[in-house]
Amino acid sequence: MIPSDHFVRFYNEVFKVLDELGSNHLEEYWRELGRLQSLELSQRFRDGGLQACYDYWANIVHEENCEADVELTADYFECRMRRCPSLSKVQDNDAGAFERYCDHCMAWVEPVMQAAGLYAVMDMQSRSEPHCVFRVYRDPESARDFENAAKLLSKPYDRMEVAGC
Amino acid sequence: MRGINRMRYRETGQVHMDFHRTTNGTIAYLRRQYGQEMVDTVLRRMARDVYRAIRSDLMAGNPESLVEHWTCFLEREGGEHSVERDGDSIRVVVQRCPAASYLQGRGVALDAAFRRQTTVLNSALAEGTPFEVITEVLDDTRYIETVRRRRP
Repeated sequence: MIPSDHFVRFYNEVFKVLDELGSNHLEEYWRELGRLQSLELSQRFRDGGLQACYDYWANIVHEENCEADVELTADYFECRMRRCPSLSKVQDNDAGAFERYCDHCMAWVEPVMQAAGLYAVMDMQSRSEPHCVFRVYRDPESARDFENAAKLLSKPYDRMEVAGC
Repeated sequence: MRGINRMRYRETGQVHMDFHRTTNGTIAYLRRQYGQEMVDTVLRRMARDVYRAIRSDLMAGNPESLVEHWTCFLEREGGEHSVERDGDSIRVVVQRCPAASYLQGRGVALDAAFRRQTTVLNSALAEGTPFEVITEVLDDTRYIETVRRRRP
Protein backbone atom coordinates (compact mmCIF):
# COMPACT_ATOMS: atom_id res chain seq x y z
CA MET A 1 0.00 0.00 0.00
CA ILE A 2 1.22 3.44 -0.80
CA PRO A 3 0.45 5.30 2.43
CA SER A 4 -1.80 8.32 1.95
CA ASP A 5 1.03 10.28 3.60
CA HIS A 6 3.24 9.35 0.63
CA PHE A 7 0.74 10.02 -2.10
CA VAL A 8 2.39 13.25 -3.25
CA ARG A 9 5.72 11.47 -3.65
CA PHE A 10 3.96 8.91 -5.87
CA TYR A 11 2.28 11.75 -7.78
CA ASN A 12 5.68 13.40 -8.25
CA GLU A 13 7.05 10.21 -9.84
CA VAL A 14 4.00 9.95 -12.12
CA PHE A 15 4.64 13.51 -13.33
CA LYS A 16 8.28 12.72 -14.06
CA VAL A 17 7.52 9.53 -16.00
CA LEU A 18 4.78 11.18 -18.09
CA ASP A 19 6.89 14.26 -18.77
CA GLU A 20 9.73 12.05 -19.98
CA LEU A 21 7.31 10.78 -22.66
CA GLY A 22 6.59 14.41 -23.62
CA SER A 23 4.92 17.32 -21.84
CA ASN A 24 1.67 16.62 -23.75
CA HIS A 25 1.40 13.29 -21.89
CA LEU A 26 1.63 15.06 -18.55
CA GLU A 27 -0.84 17.72 -19.61
CA GLU A 28 -3.34 15.09 -20.77
CA TYR A 29 -3.15 13.49 -17.33
CA TRP A 30 -3.68 16.85 -15.67
CA ARG A 31 -6.69 17.48 -17.93
CA GLU A 32 -8.15 14.16 -16.82
CA LEU A 33 -7.71 15.17 -13.17
CA GLY A 34 -9.39 18.49 -13.96
CA ARG A 35 -12.26 16.67 -15.64
CA LEU A 36 -12.78 14.41 -12.63
CA GLN A 37 -12.52 17.28 -10.15
CA SER A 38 -14.99 19.29 -12.22
CA LEU A 39 -17.53 16.49 -11.93
CA GLU A 40 -17.11 16.63 -8.17
CA LEU A 41 -16.76 20.35 -7.51
CA SER A 42 -17.82 22.69 -10.31
CA GLN A 43 -21.54 22.61 -9.52
CA ARG A 44 -20.80 23.30 -5.87
CA PHE A 45 -18.73 26.37 -6.79
CA ARG A 46 -21.21 27.50 -9.45
CA ASP A 47 -24.04 27.37 -6.91
CA GLY A 48 -22.15 28.61 -3.87
CA GLY A 49 -19.72 31.07 -5.50
CA LEU A 50 -16.83 32.49 -3.50
CA GLN A 51 -18.33 31.37 -0.20
CA ALA A 52 -18.27 27.75 -1.42
CA CYS A 53 -14.62 28.18 -2.43
CA TYR A 54 -13.83 29.53 1.02
CA ASP A 55 -15.61 26.61 2.72
CA TYR A 56 -13.88 24.04 0.54
CA TRP A 57 -10.35 25.38 1.03
CA ALA A 58 -10.84 26.07 4.73
CA ASN A 59 -11.47 22.33 5.07
CA ILE A 60 -8.52 21.41 2.82
CA VAL A 61 -6.20 23.60 4.92
CA HIS A 62 -7.15 21.50 7.95
CA GLU A 63 -7.25 18.07 6.28
CA GLU A 64 -3.98 18.46 4.40
CA ASN A 65 -2.01 20.09 7.23
CA CYS A 66 -1.45 23.36 5.38
CA GLU A 67 -0.04 26.43 7.03
CA ALA A 68 -2.26 28.89 5.23
CA ASP A 69 -4.69 31.77 5.65
CA VAL A 70 -7.98 31.76 3.82
CA GLU A 71 -9.91 34.98 3.34
CA LEU A 72 -13.20 35.93 1.76
CA THR A 73 -13.73 39.49 0.53
CA ALA A 74 -16.50 41.05 -1.50
CA ASP A 75 -14.37 40.63 -4.65
CA TYR A 76 -12.41 37.45 -4.23
CA PHE A 77 -11.57 34.37 -2.23
CA GLU A 78 -7.88 34.07 -1.31
CA CYS A 79 -5.78 31.18 -0.02
CA ARG A 80 -2.39 32.46 1.07
CA MET A 81 -0.19 29.43 1.56
CA ARG A 82 2.65 29.99 3.99
CA ARG A 83 3.87 26.41 3.93
CA CYS A 84 2.48 24.07 1.32
CA PRO A 85 2.54 20.49 2.68
CA SER A 86 2.53 19.04 -0.80
CA LEU A 87 5.64 20.79 -2.14
CA SER A 88 7.32 20.47 1.26
CA LYS A 89 6.92 16.69 1.16
CA VAL A 90 8.03 16.42 -2.43
CA GLN A 91 11.15 18.38 -1.54
CA ASP A 92 11.73 16.22 1.53
CA ASN A 93 12.18 13.28 -0.75
CA ASP A 94 15.18 11.21 -1.80
CA ALA A 95 13.76 11.10 -5.33
CA GLY A 96 13.85 14.89 -5.76
CA ALA A 97 11.04 17.19 -6.87
CA PHE A 98 9.70 17.39 -10.42
CA GLU A 99 10.49 20.91 -11.66
CA ARG A 100 6.89 21.76 -12.68
CA TYR A 101 5.37 20.14 -9.61
CA CYS A 102 3.51 23.27 -8.46
CA ASP A 103 1.60 23.50 -11.75
CA HIS A 104 -0.46 20.38 -10.96
CA CYS A 105 -2.52 22.47 -8.56
CA MET A 106 -3.68 25.05 -11.09
CA ALA A 107 -3.97 22.24 -13.64
CA TRP A 108 -7.07 20.92 -11.87
CA VAL A 109 -8.28 24.20 -10.35
CA GLU A 110 -8.44 26.06 -13.68
CA PRO A 111 -10.89 23.68 -15.43
CA VAL A 112 -13.02 23.43 -12.28
CA MET A 113 -13.33 27.22 -12.03
CA GLN A 114 -13.96 27.61 -15.76
CA ALA A 115 -16.82 25.11 -15.47
CA ALA A 116 -18.12 27.03 -12.44
CA GLY A 117 -18.00 30.41 -14.22
CA LEU A 118 -15.29 31.76 -11.89
CA TYR A 119 -11.75 33.03 -12.54
CA ALA A 120 -8.78 31.54 -10.71
CA VAL A 121 -5.30 33.02 -10.55
CA MET A 122 -2.31 31.30 -8.94
CA ASP A 123 0.79 33.29 -8.10
CA MET A 124 3.30 30.53 -7.28
CA GLN A 125 5.86 33.18 -6.25
CA SER A 126 8.56 30.51 -6.45
CA ARG A 127 8.85 26.91 -7.62
CA SER A 128 11.37 26.06 -4.97
CA GLU A 129 9.76 27.58 -1.88
CA PRO A 130 6.52 26.12 -0.55
CA HIS A 131 4.38 29.24 -0.53
CA CYS A 132 1.95 30.81 -3.01
CA VAL A 133 -1.12 33.00 -3.27
CA PHE A 134 -4.25 31.69 -4.95
CA ARG A 135 -7.33 33.81 -5.64
CA VAL A 136 -10.73 33.19 -7.20
CA TYR A 137 -12.72 36.09 -8.66
CA ARG A 138 -16.19 36.51 -10.04
CA ASP A 139 -15.05 39.37 -12.26
CA PRO A 140 -12.57 38.56 -15.07
CA GLU A 141 -11.12 42.09 -15.13
CA SER A 142 -10.22 41.93 -11.45
CA ALA A 143 -8.67 38.52 -12.02
CA ARG A 144 -6.58 39.95 -14.84
CA ASP A 145 -5.35 42.79 -12.61
CA PHE A 146 -4.17 40.28 -10.02
CA GLU A 147 -2.62 38.18 -12.76
CA ASN A 148 -0.65 41.18 -14.04
CA ALA A 149 0.71 41.84 -10.57
CA ALA A 150 1.75 38.21 -9.98
CA LYS A 151 5.38 37.35 -9.42
CA LEU A 152 5.26 33.88 -11.01
CA LEU A 153 1.98 32.85 -12.62
CA SER A 154 0.97 29.22 -12.91
CA LYS A 155 -0.26 28.55 -16.46
CA PRO A 156 0.01 24.77 -16.72
CA TYR A 157 -1.50 24.50 -20.19
CA ASP A 158 0.45 27.36 -21.76
CA ARG A 159 3.66 25.39 -22.23
CA MET A 160 5.43 28.12 -20.32
CA GLU A 161 9.11 27.77 -19.76
CA VAL A 162 10.14 26.84 -16.27
CA ALA A 163 11.44 30.04 -14.83
CA GLY A 164 11.90 31.74 -11.54
CA CYS A 165 13.44 28.77 -9.73
CA MET B 1 24.20 -6.63 10.71
CA ARG B 2 24.95 -2.95 10.29
CA GLY B 3 23.00 -0.19 12.04
CA ILE B 4 19.47 0.72 11.05
CA ASN B 5 18.49 4.00 9.40
CA ARG B 6 15.90 6.07 11.21
CA MET B 7 12.70 5.83 9.25
CA ARG B 8 13.24 8.36 6.46
CA TYR B 9 9.72 9.78 6.25
CA ARG B 10 8.06 10.23 9.60
CA GLU B 11 4.73 11.93 9.02
CA THR B 12 2.62 13.63 11.64
CA GLY B 13 -0.64 15.56 11.68
CA GLN B 14 -3.93 14.84 9.98
CA VAL B 15 -4.15 11.76 7.72
CA HIS B 16 -5.80 12.62 4.41
CA MET B 17 -7.34 9.29 3.41
CA ASP B 18 -8.88 10.68 0.24
CA PHE B 19 -5.46 10.56 -1.40
CA HIS B 20 -6.17 6.84 -1.88
CA ARG B 21 -8.94 7.82 -4.25
CA THR B 22 -6.47 9.74 -6.43
CA THR B 23 -3.95 6.89 -6.26
CA ASN B 24 -6.68 4.52 -7.46
CA GLY B 25 -7.72 6.95 -10.22
CA THR B 26 -4.12 7.47 -11.30
CA ILE B 27 -3.42 3.74 -11.48
CA ALA B 28 -6.59 3.31 -13.53
CA TYR B 29 -5.61 6.16 -15.87
CA LEU B 30 -2.06 4.91 -16.45
CA ARG B 31 -3.26 1.36 -17.04
CA ARG B 32 -5.99 2.46 -19.44
CA GLN B 33 -3.79 4.85 -21.42
CA TYR B 34 -0.43 3.05 -21.36
CA GLY B 35 -0.87 -0.46 -19.96
CA GLN B 36 0.15 -2.23 -16.77
CA GLU B 37 3.88 -1.88 -17.48
CA MET B 38 3.59 1.89 -17.10
CA VAL B 39 2.06 1.53 -13.63
CA ASP B 40 4.82 -0.88 -12.67
CA THR B 41 7.48 1.52 -13.98
CA VAL B 42 6.24 4.28 -11.67
CA LEU B 43 6.02 1.94 -8.69
CA ARG B 44 9.51 0.55 -9.29
CA ARG B 45 10.91 4.08 -9.48
CA MET B 46 9.16 4.90 -6.26
CA ALA B 47 10.72 1.87 -4.59
CA ARG B 48 14.16 2.67 -5.96
CA ASP B 49 14.25 6.45 -5.46
CA VAL B 50 11.67 7.52 -2.88
CA TYR B 51 12.37 4.54 -0.60
CA ARG B 52 16.12 4.58 -1.13
CA ALA B 53 16.78 4.45 2.62
CA ILE B 54 14.72 1.28 3.07
CA ARG B 55 16.56 -0.38 0.19
CA SER B 56 19.86 0.74 1.59
CA ASP B 57 19.04 -0.95 4.90
CA LEU B 58 17.96 -4.13 3.13
CA MET B 59 21.21 -4.13 1.18
CA ALA B 60 23.07 -3.74 4.46
CA GLY B 61 21.25 -6.81 5.81
CA ASN B 62 18.62 -5.09 7.93
CA PRO B 63 14.88 -5.54 7.25
CA GLU B 64 13.66 -3.59 10.30
CA SER B 65 13.13 -0.23 8.61
CA LEU B 66 10.93 -1.93 6.00
CA VAL B 67 8.86 -3.56 8.76
CA GLU B 68 8.68 -0.24 10.61
CA HIS B 69 7.57 1.48 7.40
CA TRP B 70 4.78 -1.08 6.87
CA THR B 71 3.49 -1.00 10.44
CA CYS B 72 3.86 2.73 11.06
CA PHE B 73 1.58 3.71 8.17
CA LEU B 74 -0.90 0.90 8.80
CA GLU B 75 -1.19 2.24 12.35
CA ARG B 76 -1.55 5.85 11.21
CA GLU B 77 -4.39 4.85 8.91
CA GLY B 78 -6.09 2.46 11.33
CA GLY B 79 -5.28 -0.69 9.35
CA GLU B 80 -5.78 -3.84 11.41
CA HIS B 81 -2.64 -5.95 11.32
CA SER B 82 -0.33 -8.17 13.31
CA VAL B 83 3.39 -8.90 13.13
CA GLU B 84 4.70 -12.46 13.34
CA ARG B 85 8.39 -13.29 13.66
CA ASP B 86 9.79 -16.73 13.00
CA GLY B 87 13.56 -17.02 12.66
CA ASP B 88 14.68 -14.61 9.94
CA SER B 89 11.15 -14.36 8.57
CA ILE B 90 8.93 -11.38 9.50
CA ARG B 91 5.29 -11.48 8.44
CA VAL B 92 2.90 -8.56 8.57
CA VAL B 93 -0.63 -9.91 8.33
CA VAL B 94 -3.02 -7.18 7.23
CA GLN B 95 -6.58 -8.04 8.17
CA ARG B 96 -8.05 -4.81 6.85
CA CYS B 97 -6.19 -2.68 4.36
CA PRO B 98 -7.07 0.93 5.18
CA ALA B 99 -6.77 2.11 1.56
CA ALA B 100 -9.09 -0.50 0.07
CA SER B 101 -11.51 -0.25 3.01
CA TYR B 102 -11.69 3.53 2.66
CA LEU B 103 -12.48 3.33 -1.05
CA GLN B 104 -15.00 0.52 -0.65
CA GLY B 105 -16.70 2.48 2.14
CA ARG B 106 -17.27 5.33 -0.30
CA GLY B 107 -18.50 3.17 -3.13
CA VAL B 108 -15.35 3.70 -5.22
CA ALA B 109 -14.61 0.71 -7.45
CA LEU B 110 -11.05 -0.51 -6.93
CA ASP B 111 -9.09 -0.55 -10.16
CA ALA B 112 -8.12 -4.07 -11.23
CA ALA B 113 -4.49 -3.18 -10.52
CA PHE B 114 -5.01 -1.32 -7.25
CA ARG B 115 -4.11 -4.31 -5.07
CA ARG B 116 -1.07 -5.01 -7.22
CA GLN B 117 0.66 -1.78 -6.09
CA THR B 118 1.81 -3.51 -2.89
CA THR B 119 3.19 -6.55 -4.70
CA VAL B 120 5.16 -4.48 -7.23
CA LEU B 121 6.49 -2.04 -4.63
CA ASN B 122 7.60 -4.87 -2.34
CA SER B 123 9.31 -6.82 -5.13
CA ALA B 124 11.15 -3.70 -6.27
CA LEU B 125 12.23 -2.87 -2.72
CA ALA B 126 13.86 -6.29 -2.38
CA GLU B 127 15.50 -6.31 -5.83
CA GLY B 128 19.26 -6.66 -5.58
CA THR B 129 19.20 -7.11 -1.79
CA PRO B 130 19.82 -10.24 0.31
CA PHE B 131 16.08 -10.32 1.09
CA GLU B 132 12.96 -11.36 -0.70
CA VAL B 133 9.56 -9.89 0.00
CA ILE B 134 6.57 -12.10 -0.66
CA THR B 135 3.19 -10.44 -0.94
CA GLU B 136 0.17 -12.73 -0.68
CA VAL B 137 -3.03 -10.97 -1.68
CA LEU B 138 -5.90 -12.81 -0.01
CA ASP B 139 -8.70 -10.53 -1.20
CA ASP B 140 -9.28 -6.80 -1.74
CA THR B 141 -8.67 -5.87 1.89
CA ARG B 142 -6.47 -8.66 3.28
CA TYR B 143 -2.89 -9.43 2.44
CA ILE B 144 0.31 -10.76 3.99
CA GLU B 145 3.76 -9.25 3.51
CA THR B 146 6.74 -11.43 4.40
CA VAL B 147 10.35 -10.32 4.38
CA ARG B 148 13.01 -12.97 4.77
CA ARG B 149 16.54 -13.74 3.64
CA ARG B 150 16.69 -15.23 0.16
CA ARG B 151 16.97 -18.99 0.22
CA PRO B 152 19.97 -20.46 -1.62
